[in-house]
Amino acid sequence: MVNNEMLAMILAGGRGSRLKDLTNKVAKPAISFGGKYRIVDFPLSNCANSGVNTVGVLTQYEPVLLNSYVAGGRNWGLDTRNGGVYVLPPREKAESGLNVYRGTADAITQNIDFIDQYDPEYLLVLSGDHIYKMNYAKMLAFHKENKADATIAVIGVPMKEASRFGIMNTDGNGHIVEFEEKPEHPKSNLASMGIYIFSWKVLRRLLIADKTNAESSHDFGKDIIPTLLGDGRRLMAYEFKGYWKDVGTIDSLWQANMDLLDEKSALNLDDDHWKIYTEDATEIPQFIGPDASIDEAYITQGCHVEGAVRRSVVFTGANVGPEAQVCDSVLMPGSQIGRGAKVIRCLVANNVRIAPGATVGSAGSESITLVAHDVKEAE
Amino acid sequence: MISAFGIVNSSNGRYHVEGLEDYRPIGAFSFLGRYRVIDFPVSNLSNSDIDRIQVYVSQNPRSLAEHLSYGQHYNINAKRGKLQLLFNQDSRVNPIYNTDIRAYHDNLDVIRRMQQDYVVITAGNWIFTENFQELLETHVASGADVTLLYHKSSTADRHYRNSNILELNRQKGVKSIKPNDLTQANRNVFMDTYVMSKNRFIDLIEKAVAKSSIYNLTDILNAENDELDIRGVQHKGSYVASIYDVKSYFDANMNLLDYDVAAGLVNAKWPIYTQTTDASPVHYFKGAEVTNSMIANGCIIRGTVENSIIGRGVTIGKGAVVKHCMVLSHSVIGDGVHIENQIVDKWAQVLHVKELSATEEDPGYVRREDVL
Repeated sequence: MVNNEMLAMILAGGRGSRLKDLTNKVAKPAISFGGKYRIVDFPLSNCANSGVNTVGVLTQYEPVLLNSYVAGGRNWGLDTRNGGVYVLPPREKAESGLNVYRGTADAITQNIDFIDQYDPEYLLVLSGDHIYKMNYAKMLAFHKENKADATIAVIGVPMKEASRFGIMNTDGNGHIVEFEEKPEHPKSNLASMGIYIFSWKVLRRLLIADKTNAESSHDFGKDIIPTLLGDGRRLMAYEFKGYWKDVGTIDSLWQANMDLLDEKSALNLDDDHWKIYTEDATEIPQFIGPDASIDEAYITQGCHVEGAVRRSVVFTGANVGPEAQVCDSVLMPGSQIGRGAKVIRCLVANNVRIAPGATVGSAGSESITLVAHDVKEAE
Repeated sequence: MISAFGIVNSSNGRYHVEGLEDYRPIGAFSFLGRYRVIDFPVSNLSNSDIDRIQVYVSQNPRSLAEHLSYGQHYNINAKRGKLQLLFNQDSRVNPIYNTDIRAYHDNLDVIRRMQQDYVVITAGNWIFTENFQELLETHVASGADVTLLYHKSSTADRHYRNSNILELNRQKGVKSIKPNDLTQANRNVFMDTYVMSKNRFIDLIEKAVAKSSIYNLTDILNAENDELDIRGVQHKGSYVASIYDVKSYFDANMNLLDYDVAAGLVNAKWPIYTQTTDASPVHYFKGAEVTNSMIANGCIIRGTVENSIIGRGVTIGKGAVVKHCMVLSHSVIGDGVHIENQIVDKWAQVLHVKELSATEEDPGYVRREDVL
């Protein structure tokens, strides 16, 4: 593709503090998912598969791993002559010193110079912490057809959960007439997915005005969208049907992994037409030992299983020792389950070691046990 | 660091693997579910800081060309380094003309232009890991004209058919290079790996061509042995395999169905690079039973797999039983099908034949893209 009609910016600066110890050292978009992936692989692969060739990644919280991971964009085939993945952390400026990103909109405002280099017609704003497969080219076509100033992707959520989301109220033709952030009494079940297409000229003007507005929290949901509505701009809701999950908590991260075990899940990562790309591990294929037993599992390259794995997802380089039992659990990269250990309804963090004979988690637990530190001995 | 370029010779006519080789050279054979055989020599060179690599191909170059591409996955600097595919036309008249010397001579202009002082020539049909930088240092320190790498084997009466063996004197000087006649168990099996200066290499190519049009590099070394200091260096690695027929290919893979042996060959300290296919993790469904096997990504497993190596993107159906098999990428073993001691080539489907059995000594072969 010769020109960059639409540029993507991925908001990847958040900590995701409800993920507790998992995000102590890494930003949420860099969290491992689905055996071999990281969360940020989803928006980046969607961009690659949708023909969006230039992507800025806005990082802020603990960005070292995330920066080195996305830089260059080769893992997603985005290292083309005209395209690329660019890491955009806050920077020191001559007039104002070091400015951290004050909000999602401010992160874009502070990179207007970057965006202007490409002179795009449209700007795609994405969140770096959602699991879904989506063709942004179709959303852009919808945006153009409707001659919209902004298009917001929405997904139908169960009405009783709607008050946890930003809800878009639309007229019969998909025009957004009202936006309510976590409404107590929702009028619709169309939740914002945090995916926006803006006509860049319109947004650019708005961002410059927002920059110096002392009242603004510089946030897309709280400030920019309401301003657009107030200005009588044309906002469209683009309804997405498919798998979409905000993996904001340990339970939802665990559940999204478990969803991969479901044959009927709409999140099929084995789809040749819409692959999710990720870093290339050099480990040997997974080895399933002579006395192992595997029943309903999602296991990747570099794993070594000698024990029993049931209804679980096992990530790159994880090791399940002889006679160990792993059930209804997620074992993150490099985790080591010792001989005879029992791991039930757990999410075991990267490189955590569970000593031989130890038991973690329990079958009847209300929520998933996060095991973020080595478990030394049998309890 | 000693400056050297690398050559991987995959156009050697001495070995023949029935079936599989009809479709690709041995270097392009699938190995351990996710690698190709040639990933080993190329990764050895790359890990040894040798980033100018020539791969010689003659027959069926497509799969090798596709797999090697321009070498970016081998951790080679994209500007300074280069992975080059060099082609030569095999003679249709008589295979005796298809020598390694002929391939080098066809590309002599490229070899002359290489800026490195030394060359490491290694083979596309051997599986081992070796630090060639150390081998170069040994070569230079010894003052030898040519250094040959060998494996001290105690099973050369049964294995390494068509390989060469080295006869050495006490000082590890090479007395002769000759074909393995399978008469003795203890032999120094030549691993088709040579170190010499670039100038010596060019000189040998020219001498060989002048002498006979059917000379191989080993022939000219034998002929020049009185004039040259040729020495053997013993390979120290934990795992060595040569692929020269169906059985040796099967064994080279199956002998790695021991985690410690496999992890000794391929590990973080000496990674073996290959092309990624971005396949998803393996999905094991209810009813799957898998033991002592190596499974590459992208597989869907619903049946039983024992003592087997399963390549990328393979589907094993409900109630299927796969015992002591190599199933190569994208093949399908249908519901209820039992197979034992088989090599199932890529994109094949075993659906209608419900039982396919052979012996460990003489494994069966299902052709590429066949539907059985």
